[in-house]
Amino acid sequence: MTCPHRILTLFAVVALSVVPGLPPSAHAQKPLKMGAIVPVSGPAAAFGLGVQRGMEFAAEDIGVFTVAGEKYKLEVVTYDTVYDPGKTVAAMNRAVYNDGVKYGVIIGAGVHPPILPIIRETGFLDLAFAAAGRQITNGENPTVFRIMASSDQLYQTHLQPIIERLNVKRVATLGPNDELGKNDAKVVRVQVEAMKAKGVQLVAEEYYERGAKDFGPALLRLIAHKPDFIETDGSPTGSIALIAKQARELGFTGYFLNSTAVLEAKAISDIAGKAGDNIIALRIWAKPPTQLYAQLADRHQKKYGEAAPGTMWEAYAATKWVADVIQKTGTFDTKKVADALAQSTYPDHPFGPASWGGEKTYGAKRQIILPIPAAILKDGKWEPFDVRTGKFD
Amino acid sequence: MEVYLPLLAQGLAIGVLTGILYVLVALGLTLIYGILHIVNFAHGEIYMLGAMAVLYLHVVAGLPLVPTLAVIVVLALLLGLAIERGIFRVLRGQWLQLVVASVGISLVIQSVGWIAFGIQEKSVPSYLPGIVDLFGIRLPRERLLAAGVAVVLVAALYWLVYRTRVGLAMRAIEEDEETARMLGVNANRVASLSVALGFVLAAVAGAFVAPVYSLNPGMGLEPILMSFLIIIVGGLGSITGTVLAGLLVGVIQSVGAILFGSEAAYGLVFVVMIAVLVARPAGLLGRV
Amino acid sequence: MKTAALVLLLLALVALPPLAEPYMLHVAIVVLMNAVYAEALYVIMRMGYLSFGHAGYIAVGAYTSALLATKLGMSVWLGFLAGGTAAALLAWLLGMVTLKLRGIYFSLSVFAFAEVVNAVFRAFDFFGGPAGIAGVPRPMFFGVRLNTHLGFYYVVLGAAVISLGFLYRLAATRFGFTLLALRTRDTEGLAESVGIDAARYKTLAFVVSCFFCGLMGAIHGHYLRFVSPFVFTFFFSTDLVIFNMAGGLGSFWGPLAGSVLLTALGEQLFAAGYYKSLVYAVVLLVVILALPGGLIQLPRLREAWAARRLRWAKQPVATTER
Repeated sequence: MTCPHRILTLFAVVALSVVPGLPPSAHAQKPLKMGAIVPVSGPAAAFGLGVQRGMEFAAEDIGVFTVAGEKYKLEVVTYDTVYDPGKTVAAMNRAVYNDGVKYGVIIGAGVHPPILPIIRETGFLDLAFAAAGRQITNGENPTVFRIMASSDQLYQTHLQPIIERLNVKRVATLGPNDELGKNDAKVVRVQVEAMKAKGVQLVAEEYYERGAKDFGPALLRLIAHKPDFIETDGSPTGSIALIAKQARELGFTGYFLNSTAVLEAKAISDIAGKAGDNIIALRIWAKPPTQLYAQLADRHQKKYGEAAPGTMWEAYAATKWVADVIQKTGTFDTKKVADALAQSTYPDHPFGPASWGGEKTYGAKRQIILPIPAAILKDGKWEPFDVRTGKFD
Repeated sequence: MEVYLPLLAQGLAIGVLTGILYVLVALGLTLIYGILHIVNFAHGEIYMLGAMAVLYLHVVAGLPLVPTLAVIVVLALLLGLAIERGIFRVLRGQWLQLVVASVGISLVIQSVGWIAFGIQEKSVPSYLPGIVDLFGIRLPRERLLAAGVAVVLVAALYWLVYRTRVGLAMRAIEEDEETARMLGVNANRVASLSVALGFVLAAVAGAFVAPVYSLNPGMGLEPILMSFLIIIVGGLGSITGTVLAGLLVGVIQSVGAILFGSEAAYGLVFVVMIAVLVARPAGLLGRV
Repeated sequence: MKTAALVLLLLALVALPPLAEPYMLHVAIVVLMNAVYAEALYVIMRMGYLSFGHAGYIAVGAYTSALLATKLGMSVWLGFLAGGTAAALLAWLLGMVTLKLRGIYFSLSVFAFAEVVNAVFRAFDFFGGPAGIAGVPRPMFFGVRLNTHLGFYYVVLGAAVISLGFLYRLAATRFGFTLLALRTRDTEGLAESVGIDAARYKTLAFVVSCFFCGLMGAIHGHYLRFVSPFVFTFFFSTDLVIFNMAGGLGSFWGPLAGSVLLTALGEQLFAAGYYKSLVYAVVLLVVILALPGGLIQLPRLREAWAARRLRWAKQPVATTER
């Protein structure tokens, strides 16, 4: 191929590749775009699909609304991040700069750090589905709201009551060897140490590589210390099921604790059989807490033929809440909306009345305060164990 | 932490059983690589397809286990023949293209798997639930079953390669192809057969390991890395080497994790591999 | 004619961006980075070495620069060079061991190295552990921190032009041609028999390749303002291999075309994470099977097919390269 042709071809290709990315033309009813910057394919797809579908249901229910005299309709735009930091950056760039999206739900503590600068610079209103804590919601990020219970909140609300109720004394942790796992383990350690006077101790702390299937050796190390309670942080369905199965094969007879939102009872009992019993899961509702919750669950089942992933309800609520606040303040300015949002409460959340907190712990009132459930797995079904509202300053 | 004998014994037992599982998975790769020197990166995906086939045929559609296995064997055979004819044969002699093509095949199957198999974690209920208690060491029955299958297949492979005419043809092609062809060995048939058998071994491994762990479209990645590691450490072209290396790696991982922790054990295995490569580039029992 | 076209392209790359939207600048930055990575990998692919672990060297470059900037407050410009140097140094040390291996053994050893690198970064808090290092600063330019897309674009453009220019000249020199001679074990033996010190050439090539990976990796880290063990993964290494193969290994322009085309294509397949992998893989297979010289050979397709048909008939079943 002669050289000028090569170069011109290259040039043409690059030019052509950006043209389709140009912003689309306007609609009859103005769209308010909300981004779903989440993984919708790959291992973390369940979380992302839950968010996407929750947002779409909310958009349907909100319908046409009026802001400052003009009619708008919510439009959910999905950007698949496959839970990869590089792709999340690409997604944010496309959403914010190319498609003019100013609001959205973003999943992932691991992928937030590189996009926080973009969020700060453009004032994007981020409804974050991220398990971490101060790293993401703090005074420097006024437009970032965590719409799920944070790890700190989960363990601070539930761990000590659970330990007391089950009367267990020897706690061990086995979590994924990444930021979330290490974070959770830290929080658990603090909570357990506060119970020293009652004879409760942390006897072992182990980690496994995310995606590992054989927990035998790590479990052996753990079980050597004779725990009666194994805390598994945010281990996903497959991992907790295998952990339970292999731990019982090695003779463990105690309880497990897990804090992932998306945990399917059937999958666990398929993989682990009876071994899955006595897994206590935070953030899982064994019984619908409100009518709205049950209605949304049915709606999802009818439309998609499968049970809704745990992230759906929170995404639905967050979308409606923000749309409400936008209508009330009459503006799309994200800073003004953020301020108004932080001061508001939302009694119609599917989980129960919701508000914001976290000023003292995180330096900003950006952490959602909600009722948090705990459920226990018995015979392949979730049974209600406890419900507490995260008290969080 | 206190490391005491029963713990190490259990760890050793787990290590040996895991090691045998590795051998089961690596057999198909050994065959293809040993005879044709083709690096079949798609091996892990065939393993995954074997497991998924059990899920859909046996669990979802209700076909009994034995017919399911028969179907899996036939499908794997056909797939192997197709890929050998369509892709490997076309790229003969071009090592780089072959490797990258097999990576491409692997990516295609994996991507389609993720797109098609949906979001819920899947599993195959255990064929033989329960454990066997041997002097205080607990051995899960389904792993013993898989280990048994592995032993049978290794024996069958030995018999095929060293005691049959077909095996003789394979060894001849591997050792000195030109002479073998001059003596009348049909090289194309050996190639097709080797690949097809390799695929069958991979799929059957997937079918028997399926109930031990859970299933997802990405489950092929770890087995293939482990399998490569094992055949390199064990030595190219040596079935015995593969068996030894598989057991060695399984035990190192297990005992290493007990002594030093899981993360260290993971790294340890790679370090061992690099050490073997440097000291004996042909592997423990390989011939250059 | 050739220089005129090149100059035109360069002018466009320099003059048009101020008119462009930030998103297009983002795409341009990613394309330029991938082009440099692909060409850096090409240096060792020319000598028959397939690396599935180049992301490890890129990560070393990124982390080195990020650490120097965040922990020692060092100038980011120096950080870029430090990143390249660190990667080159590591390449030199490891090359002594791994370059003796050929074929799949080499590929797996480099892959193992990349995994160990990521594992080390994950394990120790000094490197930020699994969360990585956030708040990696952009460089300062005459007192202004280049936080905008436009500002950093020029940094990337400059580095890319220099790197690609150097790598292009390298391919055209005697050094570059000698690398071709080392492509297989047999030809390497042949080369040595005429007095070429194969080990020295291979090591130098490896060092050069990894220097540019480290350099661009450092720039990459400062673009994202973040480094973590999950950014430079095995899939990233595989993507680079795909860019090279799909583009064509016959000349310098192949990997360039491959990386530009596939990166641009990848950006278009947006809502579609695994669909993108599928498309890459299908393009790769189509190219390998039907376009032997890579995408860059598209105009000369008929000749390439004819040549290949001649080769088919004579190939051994068991490949001799291991």
